[in-house]
Amino acid sequence: MLRCEAVGKRYGGGRWVLHDVNMQVSGGDVLAVVGGNGSGKSTLLRILVGLSRPTSGTVSGRPPHIGYVPDRFTAHDRISAISYLTHMGRIRGMSASAARARGNHLLERLSLVGGPNASLRTLSKGNAQKVALAQALLVQPDLLVLDEPWSGLDASAHGVLAEFIDEAAAQGGAVLFTDHREAITETQAGGAYAINNGQVTWRGGRHARSRTSMVELVLAAPPTDVRPVEVNWRTLPGVVNATRRGEAIVLRVAREHSDTVLLTALQHQWSVEGLAGTADEPGSRADAKRAAL
Amino acid sequence: MIALIRYMFTVLLLSQRYLAPLLLFLGLVTVLTSSDTGPLAATYAAVAGAMLLCSAWLTMASVGLEDQSHRSVIVVSAGSHLRVLLGTVGAVAVWCLMLTAAGLVLPLMLGPHVPGLADLTLGTEAQLTCAFTGTAVGLICSRLVFRRQGYALVLALVLLLAALVGKGVSPVNIMLTRLQNVSNSTDVLVSTSVQLIAAAGFLTAGVAITQAINLRKR
Repeated sequence: MLRCEAVGKRYGGGRWVLHDVNMQVSGGDVLAVVGGNGSGKSTLLRILVGLSRPTSGTVSGRPPHIGYVPDRFTAHDRISAISYLTHMGRIRGMSASAARARGNHLLERLSLVGGPNASLRTLSKGNAQKVALAQALLVQPDLLVLDEPWSGLDASAHGVLAEFIDEAAAQGGAVLFTDHREAITETQAGGAYAINNGQVTWRGGRHARSRTSMVELVLAAPPTDVRPVEVNWRTLPGVVNATRRGEAIVLRVAREHSDTVLLTALQHQWSVEGLAGTADEPGSRADAKRAAL
Repeated sequence: MIALIRYMFTVLLLSQRYLAPLLLFLGLVTVLTSSDTGPLAATYAAVAGAMLLCSAWLTMASVGLEDQSHRSVIVVSAGSHLRVLLGTVGAVAVWCLMLTAAGLVLPLMLGPHVPGLADLTLGTEAQLTCAFTGTAVGLICSRLVFRRQGYALVLALVLLLAALVGKGVSPVNIMLTRLQNVSNSTDVLVSTSVQLIAAAGFLTAGVAITQAINLRKR
């Protein structure tokens, strides 16, 4: 779908913020962009959504419906949250009543403090971020781009955001987000691009097209008296999710890493209770995320 | 596009940043046209002069309202930078049309004038000529082009002065000079239409320059 080829960016005659970036984002992908402060994550996202033009290279295949949440949504307007969302919906081609209904629904799910009639300038950072999220989801996006969406959001909104991401991916949309926290990117994203010194590298994970190549591994303590050694499963390569199901541990592992993970489990005295190749269904991923959160 | 214009109009309305240019316009029109007994062409020339200043101010205020993150959201929602820029121009045009209506009626209330259709048409043309030119100046001096609004303000004053006194170059100067020296509005209707078209060309150029510089900076 969205393809970046040899994209470079610099402002004026300054240093290259991004250099020779090649990326591909397909429908159904949930990908993270990770990197330090000032590494160019936001610049990359702005190029992808068409806000910024690359100095060199091309971006092709940009879909028609893009949802974008900027890193800071400073709101000084006197306009109310629901009125703002209605206007944004109209700008996206919705009818006023449909936009208002969708806006109310999204704000309700996000539990906006102050209610939908609170004016934007009275909202706290987290609540303004919720409005920013809602505007990006008024129309089901083909590409949802979120610049540090978790910053400022409370714990309950984290879960709702995870649901939104899953819903967008389940509808065939691609989701791309940035965050500094490894735990969040690992839990939420199927794969990650890392930015370092302007270079973007594919750090691991899977694209949506390889969804079916997942293995569900159910591990339990062996029937003998031997106690298995605790392992930090999430640090193993290819492990997308690790959740407890009663006494057992359920791992979702990329197919190419399943043998290694299985070997590690056996070496640490774990017993295999079940093993199945699965499709990476977004719904089950959402459940796992909620459990992890 | 209508949705964009509606949003831009609402945001400027709620911000109350329109108040200062509106009051300036009403004040200038009142001072320049009260107890005026001359021909209406000259009266409307004075009103058009006030429109030049206020349309530039309204444009700069409207563009300056949106901070970068808000504008980013609107650009992504609307689909392109150009659509948002045209939405801003459309919203300013709505404000200017409202001012034009006030500029047509106020002199009739303040002075002993008997307006004809030609006078009202001329008044509309003259004010729109100045509104288009003022909007072009406002765009070029807006935050989209200049981050430092101090410099932008100085440039805006220079450009507005040039539009008023630029003999033979500025459509505003050519039009205002003609209107001052005519007694019958019908005589200058056609030439004012030409200046209106020239001002529309200025506005198009203003949009193109602003868009080019804005894209280059991003």
